[in-house]
Amino acid sequence: MRILLVEDEPVLAQQIKATLTAEGYAVDVASDGIEAEALGVSQPYDTIILDMGLPGRDGMTVLKNWRAGGMRVPVLILSARDGWTDRVDGLDAGADDYLTKPFHMPELCARLRAMIRRKSEQSNPVFERDEVLFDSRTNQVMVAGRTVSLTAQEMAVLSYLFHNAGRLVSRNELSQHIYQHDGERESNTIAVFINRLRKKLGDGLIDTVRGRGYVIKSGP
Amino acid sequence: MTSLRGRAVIGGILWAAVTITLGFAGLQSFIDQGAERRFNEVLMTRLTQVVAAVEIAAPAPEAIQTVVGDQVFNRPMSGLYWQAEDEFGLTYRSASLDGHILPRPQILSSAVEIAEFNGPMGEAVRGMSRTLTLADGQIWHVQVASSLRSLQQELAQLREILLIAYTFVVVIGVVGALLQVTVALRPIEKLRKDVRLRWTNEGGLDYGKYPEEVAPLVYDIDTLLTRNREIVHQSRRQAADLGHAIKTPAAIMRNELETLEREGQRVGDALAALDRLDAQLKRAFGRMRAQSGPAALPAVTQMDLTLGRMVRAFTAMAAQKGLSVQSDYPRGLRLRMDQTDLEEVLGNLLDNAQKWADRLIRLRAVELGDQVTIMIEDDGPGIPPDQIARAMDSGQRLDTAKPGTGLGLSIAADLLQAYGSALMLDRSADLGGLRARFRLPSAPLQG
Repeated sequence: MRILLVEDEPVLAQQIKATLTAEGYAVDVASDGIEAEALGVSQPYDTIILDMGLPGRDGMTVLKNWRAGGMRVPVLILSARDGWTDRVDGLDAGADDYLTKPFHMPELCARLRAMIRRKSEQSNPVFERDEVLFDSRTNQVMVAGRTVSLTAQEMAVLSYLFHNAGRLVSRNELSQHIYQHDGERESNTIAVFINRLRKKLGDGLIDTVRGRGYVIKSGP
Repeated sequence: MTSLRGRAVIGGILWAAVTITLGFAGLQSFIDQGAERRFNEVLMTRLTQVVAAVEIAAPAPEAIQTVVGDQVFNRPMSGLYWQAEDEFGLTYRSASLDGHILPRPQILSSAVEIAEFNGPMGEAVRGMSRTLTLADGQIWHVQVASSLRSLQQELAQLREILLIAYTFVVVIGVVGALLQVTVALRPIEKLRKDVRLRWTNEGGLDYGKYPEEVAPLVYDIDTLLTRNREIVHQSRRQAADLGHAIKTPAAIMRNELETLEREGQRVGDALAALDRLDAQLKRAFGRMRAQSGPAALPAVTQMDLTLGRMVRAFTAMAAQKGLSVQSDYPRGLRLRMDQTDLEEVLGNLLDNAQKWADRLIRLRAVELGDQVTIMIEDDGPGIPPDQIARAMDSGQRLDTAKPGTGLGLSIAADLLQAYGSALMLDRSADLGGLRARFRLPSAPLQG
């Protein structure tokens, strides 16, 4: 899952990025409104965290421009403005959720997960196929009741496929959603991650459609 | 202090009483004198009539009565009498005297003498007499007398008419004074109305529309109101800026501490202190808002607009949690509360409802007379009756399992109280969870 974090306070941006990266997200950081707006429309994000008070162009304008342009990625506003009028203004402008500073990191993560699940029309944070169980809240993976340890990138691939279960996902799409903007991106490493996942989770979970991509069949 | 209207009315009535009393006294004296004069003129004519009769009939005085002729002198006790006495003391009298004698005055003179005494029936009469020397040297004393009853009756009648006329004048005068006061005080009334509207709308006072005596005052009030509003906006802005300036560093500290905690460091005290700091700030800003708002901000909100915004926002947020939001409220109403304050109240109450609701949140508004009751209900566990008072205390979290500062309900209650309203909490009859209610006065639509 790939996230755009729009935050002009560098220390806070770094803290959030570190937490989200540890959770298995690929995170791009934009520190001003103009850069944020450009990234939001040019990159395929799964969700966006948007601060309101930004240099260059304020968050509200950025959000309105995105929505006016038909951009539908879920947006969570993270702002120090905690008045309900500000919150309602933000939600009315097309945000999907609003969290005020100071905030608890676990709550931010929980809200992001909920937004991503909603986007992929999944109501249950726990995904289960055959003997494989993936808890998106804890990034815990179990096969037949045994915990399996995955690397961050294996986890990212598995999470993206589960969230898009039933839909064919190309290697290119996968790489766009698991690597951040400035990261090295090689679509043939995706094949490597898929192979490792099959070794750890069994052959039956991920189907390959030759030349087109991968799919996890939709839920039980 | 007595009101302007009271002063003007009392002053006007006192002044009217003085002028009317003086006028009444003057006019009455004039009328009295006129009646007296007419009475005396008539009496004089009678005297002349009798004198002429005496002059003609003196050789055969018994004929005087016939010469005088007037029937009113012949009717006994008619109230009009004459009497003629020659130098030998022989007296001739009108039949109306019925044998009684008119008392002869002390001074006998050829000039006309006027005297008042009791007549034959004991009634007050006015007599007029003179001594008369005939061509043949005979000396006669002639007198006529007329009962004063008719004069008194006439005077009483005139006074009655005068009194009615003056009562009429008094009524017109008082009504006129009241009307005049009302007209004169109209700019003050208008000023009051305009200030009230100014209080609830952004528009300024148009002091050009006031009389020159009031215009400077209106200008001063307008300046004062504008300044007041600027100060409130400014202090709210400064408070918000301060809030923003503190919250981002606080967020950084919290994240740092939470990371350390996850790594096994003991930072519980620091995190608790940070929690207290956050709650303190939130409470202080809530109080600041409650104290500064209602007194100086325009306080009219389009209710359906605000409720619509809240419902849209909470429908979006509640959907993330699998909750639904129902709403039912009349359109076109205006409430006497600042929009951001009303949204703060509704936001806190809806947020509380969405924390506890199982599946459903309901927002309703009902208009009753000039009051609107707004209700927010949920189907959650509700609050036991004995804990309701505690729920509105600032910082009291009845259940620490849910995230939050526990300030939402108390911020809403404080704000409502600042507007003279109150937050009421009880159990929702049909949903079973908490029902939060408050009433606000509706504002008339602007014409």
